[in-house]
Parts: sequence; C-alpha cells; structure tokens
Amino acid sequence: MKPFLILLLASALAAVAGAKEIKLLNVSYDPTRELYQEYNAAFAKYWKAKTGDDVTISQSHGGSGKQAQSVINGLEADVVTLALAYDIDAIARQAKLLPVDWQKRLPDNSTPYTSTIVFLVRKGNPKHIKDWDDVVKPGVTVVVPNPKTSGGARWAYLAAYAYALETYGHDDARAKDFVTRLYKNVPILDSGARGSTITFAQRGIGDVLLAWENEAHLALKEFGADQFEIVTPPLSILAEPPVAVVDKTAKRHGTTDVARAYLEYLYSDEGQEIAARNFYRPRNPAVAEKYAANFARLKLVTVEQEFGGWQKAQQTHFADGGIFDQIYQP
Amino acid sequence: MKLNQLILTAAVGAQFVFPALAADGTATNSTEAAEIEALRQQVQALDQKVQSLEQQREAEPPAVADTNQEQIHELDQKVRILARQHELDQEDAAAAAKTRPLVKLDASGFTLSSADTNFVISLHGLIQLDSRTFFNDHNLVNSGFLLRRARPIITGTVFHDFDFNFTPDFGGSTVQILDAYLNYRYNPELQLEAGKFKSPVGLEALQSDAYGFFNERSLVTDLVPNRDLGVELHGDLFGGAASYAAGLFGGVSDYNGTTVNTDSDNDKAFAGRIFLQPWKTTDVGALKGLGLGVGGSYESDRNGAAGLTPGYTTDGQQKFFTYSAGVIANGQHWRISPQGYYYYGPLGILGEYVISDQEVSRTTAPLGSADLRNKAWEVSASWVLTGEDATYTGVTPRHPFNLHTGGWGAWQVVGRYEELNVDNNAFSAALPFAASTTSASSAHAWSAGLNWYLNRNVRLNASFSHTLFSGYAGATPAVPAQAENVVFTRIQLAF
Repeated sequence: MKPFLILLLASALAAVAGAKEIKLLNVSYDPTRELYQEYNAAFAKYWKAKTGDDVTISQSHGGSGKQAQSVINGLEADVVTLALAYDIDAIARQAKLLPVDWQKRLPDNSTPYTSTIVFLVRKGNPKHIKDWDDVVKPGVTVVVPNPKTSGGARWAYLAAYAYALETYGHDDARAKDFVTRLYKNVPILDSGARGSTITFAQRGIGDVLLAWENEAHLALKEFGADQFEIVTPPLSILAEPPVAVVDKTAKRHGTTDVARAYLEYLYSDEGQEIAARNFYRPRNPAVAEKYAANFARLKLVTVEQEFGGWQKAQQTHFADGGIFDQIYQP
Repeated sequence: MKLNQLILTAAVGAQFVFPALAADGTATNSTEAAEIEALRQQVQALDQKVQSLEQQREAEPPAVADTNQEQIHELDQKVRILARQHELDQEDAAAAAKTRPLVKLDASGFTLSSADTNFVISLHGLIQLDSRTFFNDHNLVNSGFLLRRARPIITGTVFHDFDFNFTPDFGGSTVQILDAYLNYRYNPELQLEAGKFKSPVGLEALQSDAYGFFNERSLVTDLVPNRDLGVELHGDLFGGAASYAAGLFGGVSDYNGTTVNTDSDNDKAFAGRIFLQPWKTTDVGALKGLGLGVGGSYESDRNGAAGLTPGYTTDGQQKFFTYSAGVIANGQHWRISPQGYYYYGPLGILGEYVISDQEVSRTTAPLGSADLRNKAWEVSASWVLTGEDATYTGVTPRHPFNLHTGGWGAWQVVGRYEELNVDNNAFSAALPFAASTTSASSAHAWSAGLNWYLNRNVRLNASFSHTLFSGYAGATPAVPAQAENVVFTRIQLAF
C-alpha cells in the first residue's frame, strides 16, 4: 500500500510540475537551413525521450559575418553554428558572450562536420571548367558571394588563393594576381551563399558558381541534375564550420544544458548521419565511410597550413584595406 | 558580291561554250581540239571554284550565327546581371530601412525614433496667448494680454519600456517645471510612474491644457490637487474600458497654479482614481463615449499654512476666497470627486463634483480647530457645429482652414455652469477661519463661448464668463463685491 501511495504522490507531483517547454535560437549561416530543419526535429525527439521536455529550436540564417554581427548587436542566440571560427571569435572578443577558448569545448575544434568549395557549372560544362585556372580565364563569368559578409565566400577566396600558392611556388604576388583575375570575372556579389545560388541557378547568371559542396548538391537536388553539374577541382580548402553555445545568453534564458546537449548531439551517430545526408562531410569515420560515394576525393588544404590561422587570414585578406579590398573593383 | 559575280561568269561561260562545241562537232584539227580541251579545263576549274565558294558560303552562316548567338548571350547576361543587381540593391535598401532611424514631423510634433522603436524622442509644444477683458470691475484687475502657457514638451521612450516626459513652462510670471517623470510600462495594464506629474483625482484637472472647452478650468478644479511629487501605479484594463491609478505623493494643497519641486513636510498623501468606459470597446456607438469614475485623496496634514490653498479663484483667475492669516492645515485632508463625461458625435458633456474636507486650526486667538467641508460642481457641454466628433482629447477638423482650398476648420459652441461653496463654519463668528470682509462664501458662474479649430494645431477661443458671489460683507470694493464679467480670447498653438 505504501509503495502505491508513493507512486501516486510522485505521479501527482510530476503532473503538477509538467513537462518544460524550452525554446532555443540557433543562429547559423546561409546554407544550413535544410541541415538544421532535419537535425532540430531529430534532436527534439531525442531530448523529449531523454528528459520529457519539449524543445523548440528556431533558426536564423544569413551570411556568416552578418549573423555574427547580429549576435554582437543583441540577437539572442542560445547557440551559434557559423561558417568559420573567426566569426564566433568576433562574438567572444567583441560581445564577450562566450570565452575566447570556446573552440576547445567540443571535439574536432568544435567542428562536428566539414565541407569544401566546389564548382557548380551548367549542364555539359560549356566553358570546360575543370580546375581553378579555368575559372580565371577571360570570358568566364563567376558567381560567388561577398567575402566581407559571407563565410562561404571567404572559404572560396582562400581556396583560390591556396591553389595559386600551391601552383606558383607560394609566390604571394602571383597568388594576388590570380585572385585579381578571378574577381574580374565576378560581376555581382551577393551577401550570402544562398543568394549566390539564386543568382546562378534561378536568375541564370554566370558560367560557374563557387559553392559550398553541400550547397552545390542541394542545387542539383532542387533544380535537377539536368540543369547543372558539380565539378570538383583537384585542390580545394577544408572548410570547418564550428558550433558554440553562447554562454551568457543561454544562461540568461536558462537553456545552458539543453544548448550544450544540442551541439553535442551533432557528434552522435544520428547527428553525423543527418550531416552526411545533407552533404556535409561527417567527422565520424564510420559514417564518412558509409557516405563516401557522396564526396569526391581531392586534396584539401587548411587555413592553418596555408594562411597561419583565421585571425591572420582575416587581417591579411578581408579586413578593411586588406588584399580583397585592393583587388576587387565593383 | 565577288562570289555572285563568279557564279554568274561560270554560268554564262557554260552557256556559250558548250553549244559552240556541239554545233562544231565536226572539227577535227588538233588546234581546235586543244582549244576545246583548254576551254573545258577552264570551265571545270571555274566549276570547281564555284563549288568551293558555294561550300564556303554554306559554311559562313553558322559562323555568323554563332557570333550573333554569342552577342545575344552576352547581352542577355548583362541584362540579367543588371536585373539581379537591382534586386540586391532593393534587398539592401529594405535591410537598411530596418535599421535606419525614423524621422517624423507632422501635426503630432517632431519625432525621432530608432528603427525598432525601442528609442523614441519627441518634441511637442503648447503656446497660448490670451486676452482677458473685465467689465464693471472698478479697476480692481487689469484687462490685458497674457502669455498663459509657453511649454516645450519633450517626451520619449528608452529601452522600449521606459517612457519619460519633461515639460517646463515659461508662461505667466513664473518659470516652473510642470512635469518631469519616468514611466515604466510593463504592459498597458501595469505601469509604474515616478517623478512630478498630475495627481490622479480631478477629471477636468487631468485633461490636457490644450483640450479644455474654455480658457480656464472651472471652480471644481479649485478643490483638487495639481501636480505633485510621487510614485504611482497605473494602467488601462480591458482594452481601455477601465483605467486605474493609485499613488503615494508628497501631498499638496487644493489647486495651486504654481507647483513646487520639493516636498514640504513629512506627511504623505494617497491619491487614486478609477475610471470606467464600459462600452468603449463595444459596437454600441451611442455609449462608447460614456465614462464614469471617481477620484480621491487622503492625507494627514500637519503642514501649517503650506497645506492650505493659496486661494480659490474665479474663471478670471481672481481670488475670491482665502484663509485668514494664522490659519493652518492641521489634521486629515480628504477629497472625493465623482466625475464623468459623455461624448457622442459632435456632442460633448463633462461633469464633476468635488468635496475637499480639511481640518484646520487657528494659531492666533481665538484658538481652535474645525473640519471644513468645501464643495464644488460643474457641468459643461459642447457642440461641434461643423459635425466633427467632440472628444476628451480635442477636436480634429475634417477640413482644415485653408483659404486656397476652401476649408474652414471646425467650429464648436461651449457652455458651462459651475459652483463652489465654502463651508459656513469657515466664517463662524466665534471661530473664524476666513474673513467675510475679504472672501466670499460661494461663487457660481456660467460661461458661453465659441472655439475655432483651424486645424489640429491652431485653435482660437472666445468666451464670456459671468460669476456671482455670496457672503461677502465687506464695505470696500473687492473681487467678491460685485459680479465678475470677463471676455476671454485665446490663440493657441499645440503640436
């Protein structure tokens, strides 16, 4: 009788307490919409099963640099999942919403998946674009977003620059000339990767789109493989989009635990599977092996190897007065 | 052109050469045969050349077409790029508009606002230039012009929820800060205001100075508090169908036109008001503008002379009652004011009754105290001749005055009856608190006027007030010695 009463009391207390309804805001970059739509549903289900609480995750997307600035300006993100570490560094340094060593808190430098930059060309590849040299030829129109606002654009710029360094014996002057020729072929700069996909795929502009690998696959899926094809250059850059809990905001919202779990679950088998299904290269070797056919093999250089890390790359290439400002004439 | 000539030449040559050969088929000498052979070879050569040129010509159109196609493609790309750039420019402009501060200048004043409206600052103003002309006043008061009010009004919001108001007044003879307060707005239902502002008691006193029917408020306002220092909880409930205000204030005497910025004693006053407009949010048009409420205050006031009114004044702002020297506030002081208004179309009616009950003492012989209960009431009515709606917050002309387009603004006739009765015990022979030789025991007045709203900002008033007094026993000419007859005019700018 006594256990029954205890059970009854516990049930009553649980009913009174009720399941919590938790809200999270994930501020992300442009092409992750589809990834996080699928992932959010999976995480909510996982969290409900684990804790009994309902969690609703809202998404905000835009150029990675712009998104970081929005968080600095007060957009109340519980977590950020941006295109590159520099943008989260900016949040840590300028707004002090998370510690500067945030990248050490999760495995693989807080980068649960990776990607790279590939070429999306029109069906039949009429301009015969196979490698970076083809992209800088006169008469080739290139579509790519603005590196000042887009993380993907910074990865694309650095991929081209790294190719030139590798090709011309790390001659900076020739590399600079190479990206100068590249951006002479760029007639328009969107603020984010999704905008550039629209420019290329929907507005019919250009011969080649320098795209996130996942975004290129999405374009094929969205607009049909009869319209475009993906060309993977022999060399590109290892893009590492990181994730982080925005500590102060999450603490204020009382969402620290769930925000942390939300990011940790990206490393789970299910999280990695979802990333791979959305054409992000998973970190988990088993999952990577399973989806190997989705990802072309190519030489991937890193920002650390070629540019000495993001802080230096940002300062040299993308800060006001940097190389991009010098070479790009709108 | 060259190609056509060659084809023609070959054709003509063939027509002449082959018939000649046929006609002279019998020629047998070797010279002729050689000539014929030479001609044949020449024709064959020409034929080959024609064929070659024809092939060349056939090959040319695709090349030209390719060139054209490329040009068309290039032009198409240029057009697409321009269109996309325009699209991006529009997106950028839309995004920039979301963060661009908003500037507004209209009949409501000048407003500068952040794009998200979390920060707002507005500049308003009120200027009233009056004239008062007294008749049969034995030259006791001056007829003349008066800058009645001259107020720059700064209002705004910071961090979305904190409203502020700063209103100095340079009108009359005294420069003073009328309003200086901060209001935290949790939501419309729950707000906390602190600073210097109107005490929530009298309906007429709470109405904006720009919107009254007449130049001056009625005798009922003599008995309610003016602006005070304090903290007030207030809000609008049920979409404005009910409102409440309750606060703790420093406590002030019955209406004093000159306000202060300090609390004169340790005693505090409680003031509050409930006002109901039950049909405000309904479709019952005839009752939407009906509002009924009650305001009141309570204070245990041992404040001496500062707690007493500096004098009750007429419409013409002449004092007709003051307490005698040596009389002080000494005990509880409470007020109650049932009040209401009714606005329906061009009709506006406002009424209010006030009791101000105050314990007073004499500090000179004969010593003693009394509880004096002074009362006042008024009813005023208006009718907008041009058909616009009359409201508690003024009249908005349907056709603003404009000689070029023929607009004449809005015209409103107004009338009022009012009374104020001082407690008879104030004039007790055994224990007097006021002298019947200088003060009247009551005043009652009627007024009539015409208001012309040229537009939302400019208004002209003209009115006449007639006030009669009772209880004056003085022998010398004084304000209450005869009726007060005064004509008012006003030019008002409010924005």
